[in-house]
Amino acid sequence: MLLSTALAMPPLEQALSEELDRAMSGLKLPDAPKPYLIAYDLLDGDVVTSQSSFGRLVSLEDEDFRTLRAEVRVGSYQVDSSNFSAFGEPDGIVSRRLPVEDNVLALRREVWLATDAAYKAAVQQLSRKLAARQGEEESKRSTDYTPAPPVVGELASLPALPAVDSAALTNLTDVLSRELRAFPELEVGDVLARIWQGRRLLLSSEGSRLWRNTGFVVVRVEGVVRLADGTRHRNLRSWVVRTMADLPPLAEMQAEVRGLGSWLSGMKDAPLEEDYLGPVLFEQGAAVELFSQLLPSEIVGTPPTEEEPDDSSVISRRAPTARLGRRLLPVGWTVVDDPTTSLPVMGAYDRDQEGVAPRVVELIHDGVLRDLLMSRIPSRDRSESTGHGRSLSNDRRGAMPGVLTVSPPHSLSEVALRRRALRLAAQVGRPYVLVVRAMEPPAMIEDFDVAITGDSPLPGLTFPTEVYRLYRDGKMEPVRSMEFVGVDRRVLRDIDRAGPVVGPVDMLDGPPGPERFQIGAVGGLGVTWTVPSVLITELELVGRRGGEPRLLKLPGLD
Amino acid sequence: MLSLLFALPLSLPPETSEVPTEPLSDLQSALGAAMAQLQRLPDPPYYLAYAVTETDQLTLQGTNGSFAGNERSRGRVVDIDLRVGSMKLDNTHKIRDAAWFSEPERPGVRAPIADDPALLRNLLLRYTDDVYRSALRQLIKVRSNDVVKVEREDLSDDFSVATPVQDVVALPPLSVDEDAWKATLRQVSAIYLQYPAVQDSAVEITVQQERRWLVSNEGARIADGRNHLRLATWGTAIAADGMEVQVYDYVDGPSLEKMPDPKAIEAMVHGVAQRVTALLSAPLVEPYDGPAILRGRAAGVFFHEIFGHRIEGHRQKDEDEGQTFTSRVGQAILPTFLSVYDDPTLQNVGTVDLNGTYRYDDEGVPAQRVPLVEHGVLRNFLMGRAPVANFPTSNGHARRQPGFAPVPRQGNLLIQAETSVPYSKLREMLIVEIRKQKKPFGLIFDDISGGFTFTGRSTPNAFSVQPVTVWKVFADGRPDQLVRGVDLIGTPLTTFSRILAAGDDPEVFNGMCGAESGWVPVSAIAPSLLIQQVEVQRQDKMSDRPPLLPPPGVR
Repeated sequence: MLLSTALAMPPLEQALSEELDRAMSGLKLPDAPKPYLIAYDLLDGDVVTSQSSFGRLVSLEDEDFRTLRAEVRVGSYQVDSSNFSAFGEPDGIVSRRLPVEDNVLALRREVWLATDAAYKAAVQQLSRKLAARQGEEESKRSTDYTPAPPVVGELASLPALPAVDSAALTNLTDVLSRELRAFPELEVGDVLARIWQGRRLLLSSEGSRLWRNTGFVVVRVEGVVRLADGTRHRNLRSWVVRTMADLPPLAEMQAEVRGLGSWLSGMKDAPLEEDYLGPVLFEQGAAVELFSQLLPSEIVGTPPTEEEPDDSSVISRRAPTARLGRRLLPVGWTVVDDPTTSLPVMGAYDRDQEGVAPRVVELIHDGVLRDLLMSRIPSRDRSESTGHGRSLSNDRRGAMPGVLTVSPPHSLSEVALRRRALRLAAQVGRPYVLVVRAMEPPAMIEDFDVAITGDSPLPGLTFPTEVYRLYRDGKMEPVRSMEFVGVDRRVLRDIDRAGPVVGPVDMLDGPPGPERFQIGAVGGLGVTWTVPSVLITELELVGRRGGEPRLLKLPGLD
Repeated sequence: MLSLLFALPLSLPPETSEVPTEPLSDLQSALGAAMAQLQRLPDPPYYLAYAVTETDQLTLQGTNGSFAGNERSRGRVVDIDLRVGSMKLDNTHKIRDAAWFSEPERPGVRAPIADDPALLRNLLLRYTDDVYRSALRQLIKVRSNDVVKVEREDLSDDFSVATPVQDVVALPPLSVDEDAWKATLRQVSAIYLQYPAVQDSAVEITVQQERRWLVSNEGARIADGRNHLRLATWGTAIAADGMEVQVYDYVDGPSLEKMPDPKAIEAMVHGVAQRVTALLSAPLVEPYDGPAILRGRAAGVFFHEIFGHRIEGHRQKDEDEGQTFTSRVGQAILPTFLSVYDDPTLQNVGTVDLNGTYRYDDEGVPAQRVPLVEHGVLRNFLMGRAPVANFPTSNGHARRQPGFAPVPRQGNLLIQAETSVPYSKLREMLIVEIRKQKKPFGLIFDDISGGFTFTGRSTPNAFSVQPVTVWKVFADGRPDQLVRGVDLIGTPLTTFSRILAAGDDPEVFNGMCGAESGWVPVSAIAPSLLIQQVEVQRQDKMSDRPPLLPPPGVR
């Protein structure tokens, strides 16, 4: 009698496992080190992306998705082939599409080729790294990788995945975008949505063999109106949830989209705020964007990759911006990241992409950075992973936030916060204060400038999409498109007061750095933020012009 | 740079039908609404055309005995072609000595897949507004450029009159039995496992249906389309010297009935695998000049690249172009035994369907058979509606990939030899030539994977084509030897002057051609050609070692 089928290894796991064993025992170039670690990260699922415009489907993509990320490391945990970048050169990470059927031999052939390519690239990368270090004094560098105990999770133990219903997604984008037909002023009335449901297998030579469910549903709504003077005004709405069942009731989403259309339609009478210098109140989604755009690079401890020596380069050198002991927020503020939360939020998880269980990290205490989010890539300040190793596709597994809570020492009510804001405005002679309620998420930017400051390029802020003048009589008047001038993390120290809590808000984001602006509108990893509304003492915003008035009168859609 | 590609980005809904005419009415209505408003403006366009192209595509792939996956896509692309000024001088006129980024941006517009007249009209008017304002700005620059610069070498107009066509062309329905094809792909792709030398491989079928609706303010009203299928297979391996060996074979056709049956696909796969295996151990060729034969498909690609792109009409008036043949009309440019035509109306040669067949070009002009070279003498150019000196009208060759502005392109290029010899005789003539030139060997180019050519003045007017299968032929009777690692290079006039003879064995090359107006399907039909002297250079190659471990399952 042979082994019962119940004990058989899933074919995907079998294919990866057999190739892992073969590679660890046999991969060896002459006069070059063998791999000391191989890790396979496999994504296996379905992805459907639907886009509709004013109630009609524009595109639909539906594919079976099975992709392997093969990472090979040579050297040792102390010094290995990772954390080094040479322009245009491959490193030890290779992605490859795998056949969607469970044919072990066909799967193994793809894994074989990916592992071979990753190993060769890793050997070259290590030599480039050692060459770059040649002549250095006794290195004060941290080690390259932190060992971690193996972790096991069986496929059979996972709950069933929800079905991916492309017809339901298409219907959703059609129905939501149809709401925007009622607003003839709109030039763009698009809804883009994606379902991604699948499984992830981490298999490594350290002994990890971890199956997990993964996926998300994202819905993005975009409306654009062109005002009489030609200025374009854009506004957005997003939902990010785990499954279709987690979306709000359809009627609620439709109402939100109608609200967006109505808001944009009303922009035709909005005044232009040419040049503003004064206090700014960040409410609702804008408060979340303020923190989520400025804080991550200050709280992630993953060191930048080493590079080849280049004395001529002044600003392209990557310097870590996260610095323990740096004041990031006013006295009394705390920031905690807790992916272990039992809340059903997008940023929560039980194992990061490196198989490490996350821990709660109090990052900022009393306004000062006291701890860092870490992956298994250590820094001089921190050697242990905090279980935050997550990245996109072929990127190295640096750390990124999970479930962040920003807490002020005291909070004012919305009324009190607004009163305080008006008082600050009056101090600088303004009869109103600007309130920013929504900003473009990095995934949805059309155009963006980063702030270049003394210590490195720092993220600025994306364009606000909803800005109001708040007058002393409580009147809120929307103003036309604006942009921030000269913003970097330092503005967070200028927070004057905090208001009501916003969140938890789920979003899709990327690791800190330029990559987060390249994740696309329906890509990224789940992150959750809970923040207060905040009043910043002084910010500069200018009105955005551009565009030409329409020469042709556009016909209505009905 | 202009280049040829064999492989389509490979991927239809299960059901398709004849080209419906509703979008034509919707486009016509939108065009009427736009023109009514535009004509009230100070500088109204004199020409406005709308086209919507719908593409449905399905690709199914198999690899190593497994179904590897599928890709489906469906979408509609809108093209707005608008001209302000006059036929004599309009916004499309090339600005001389301009920076590359001064070209006006063409908006990429996607239309809803389902018919929605109101939404389509709104979309078209919005983008027509953008295109019109951009055209006005461009016309100002064009007029200024014409005054500031010296007189143009070619004073022909920017646009010509064409009789508007109204036609609805039926398109046969397509439906694919996906399960049956998956089974076939599993079965045939497993054959590669019998060939340990082949490292990576696939077999796939792409089924594409394209439907187009075009209207203009001149009264053009066309609904037509194209079905295209490709069964393709490839195998790759890395040779011991680091060179990647890739062999690609395919069959194109307009219907499933024209695709090979499983037995024929099996034969294709065996053929590819055997060629990969043989090429891995084939010796490299050193740089060489001497006599050679280009077999039919290779000769077709050769003519497409070296000749075809140089007789595209717009290149004759563009002062940045090398204009190899502009002033050679009426002169001999090829041996007297060769004539060249481009005939998009030709549907097949023998049993082989042609890729470059169409009834109307992308300016709505009926495709015409164009005698380009007769008895070696240049007679004509491929023309769209932009005239060239002495060639004032279109011959229906303005083509584009949806989303691009149309320019004259090749369709089905036919190279015909009035005197020809059987291939065996041509081979004997090659050996005679080897001896006459006292060369150690000659070359036979069996197949070519693609190529490119530079036609501009700022770069040498050279070409490079990438052969897949090259044979050394020895004058002393030794068997032919398969070799690898060379590209066929040269310059056009010199090479054409050295064509000595042609075979009686015309073959069809079907492929995709990329140039300014995007990728368009083309064919080239040519006999084998004996060339007195060709030059080959070492092929670019990687230096990767072959995989260190044997393939899984092989001990």
